[in-house]
Amino acid sequence: MALPLLSRSLAGLLVESSSITHHRTFSVSAVAAAIQKMTRVRVVDNSSLGNTPYHRAPRVIHVYTKNGIGKVGDKVLLAIKGQKKKALIVGHKMPGDRMTPRFDSNNVVLIEDNGNPTGTRIKVPIPTHLRKHEGEYSKVLAIASAFV
Amino acid sequence: MNILTRSKKLISVFKSSVLLDRTGVLRSVCSVPKSRKDLFLPPLFTTNVPSCQHRHHVSTLNLDTKRLYSEICTESDESTKSTGVFREESQEMERGSSALNQSSPEKFTIDVLVSLLRQENAVDICVIKVPEQITYSEYFIVVSGVSPRHLRAMALYAIKVYKFLKKEGAPNVKIEGKDAEDWMCIDFGNMVVHFMLPESREVFELEKLWTLRKYDEQLKSMPTETLPEDFIYDGKVTK
Repeated sequence: MALPLLSRSLAGLLVESSSITHHRTFSVSAVAAAIQKMTRVRVVDNSSLGNTPYHRAPRVIHVYTKNGIGKVGDKVLLAIKGQKKKALIVGHKMPGDRMTPRFDSNNVVLIEDNGNPTGTRIKVPIPTHLRKHEGEYSKVLAIASAFV
Repeated sequence: MNILTRSKKLISVFKSSVLLDRTGVLRSVCSVPKSRKDLFLPPLFTTNVPSCQHRHHVSTLNLDTKRLYSEICTESDESTKSTGVFREESQEMERGSSALNQSSPEKFTIDVLVSLLRQENAVDICVIKVPEQITYSEYFIVVSGVSPRHLRAMALYAIKVYKFLKKEGAPNVKIEGKDAEDWMCIDFGNMVVHFMLPESREVFELEKLWTLRKYDEQLKSMPTETLPEDFIYDGKVTK
């Protein structure tokens, strides 16, 4: 007895919801941001801090930009092995400008407070459009072995 | 010293001894690798100065040549540091006012940069010609200094000379790493200069990396990254 009532109301509901979706005039998408707080990143240089295993992945705890979104060339603060360390973003999974490379992982290079890189070599390819950005990237480009 | 007088001195030094400089260094390079079988000259001398007496083109840049470049770079600079000064002075006295009518350098080329670094008593100048496959820059220079203040003075003087010699439309160049006292860089488009203290130079070994690109020792000692066993490739690509 309840079933035909239920099915009728459900059918009504279904009809209504389908009509609503037909009438929607804007698109909805999930929020896409490159690197922000609490993202887990991959350290790509050969520093001991970045390569020794720890039970927690390195996470971003602060992004040094006006909005909290970090793109290639931005400095971030990481929490690694229970310590805070500054780092430079060298690639993210989010697609950027046309004709700039998109990486399969969010790559980061550890940096000291004075801008010197902590590691001495980078095996992972580094995008060359870093050179055109405002900022001090020559040191990171100097220790890179592959460019993209 | 005023920038004009300093740069005039530089230009006069440049005029009379730019080729003498080079021939002096060439001679020192020739004398050094006598034991080696293949005698060739590093392509850092194949620059765009028009009236160049000796032009040696090296077409192939393979592994052996690269290793020998770095050795020759450091060797030639050490030998020029010790004997080059006297050789240049004697040549200057011999030739005096050279018949080579070279105009004052209008472009900030690699020769101008190297001569101003020599004038500033830079220690261990290493000029590496970057192969064209690497679209980073043409020349990669690593220079050591005596103290942080020396590095800063060299960097500031290089910027001053660049500003004096550049055309109107060329962008200004800034010093990167001003607050790091042991490593400063300047990126002039086609050339990149790194001013480091000897200690940090030993740690980073930039000359080794840029001469032996993939075959660098530090790169080889880095452990190769392997995927973990439970890795699942997420093939979802946004956009």
